[in-house]
Amino acid sequence: MMSLRVLVIALFLAAIALLGVVETVARRERSAVPTLGEMCGFVMSYRLGWLPVGRIGVFGFWWWLGWHFFAR
Amino acid sequence: MERPSEFAAPAERAWTRSAVLVPVFALISLVAGALPSFSLSANLLVLCTGGSLFWIGVSNTVREVQPLPRVPAVAAWWIVPFGLLILVEAATFLLGSTDSHPTLSRLADPVLERYLARSALFYGWMTAFWGMARR
Repeated sequence: MMSLRVLVIALFLAAIALLGVVETVARRERSAVPTLGEMCGFVMSYRLGWLPVGRIGVFGFWWWLGWHFFAR
Repeated sequence: MERPSEFAAPAERAWTRSAVLVPVFALISLVAGALPSFSLSANLLVLCTGGSLFWIGVSNTVREVQPLPRVPAVAAWWIVPFGLLILVEAATFLLGSTDSHPTLSRLADPVLERYLARSALFYGWMTAFWGMARR
């Protein structure tokens, strides 16, 4: 089903384009929208007591993503 | 919106300078681009570089930017692209990731077979890792 494949690719491209749009809006001067980096920083600041759960989660996910794409 | 400020006078280490990191990352990426998927060497390289960057990130060794104390409601705009990405990825994964409804990694496979693309994406992966470690 070629048309379904095209639709899936179009949806992925739309999601990536939307990421670019929101980041561009966030980087405008006086924008109320935080950038992706600021969002990551906020998520990574989450702690459970002494344990930096946010940092472990984000870095763990990124590490796994690299392994998923480049090693397996 | 109130932007986060840099931490007060972080002592810059020699090895964290761009002049050092860019060639090191480039060299590792050039090696990574030549390693095929499922090979022991590719696994070891990702585990070692990822592990090092994970440790640097979790231990706050190079952290320079103070995080936002809270995020405004408009930050919910980020849900739109990530929600769409997760929705399509989950649907294609549940449908078995075939040629007619491929997951992102299946679509990326032919691209990652090319040496330069693989090296460039590996470089991007490490740079993003480093960027997050600084936050």
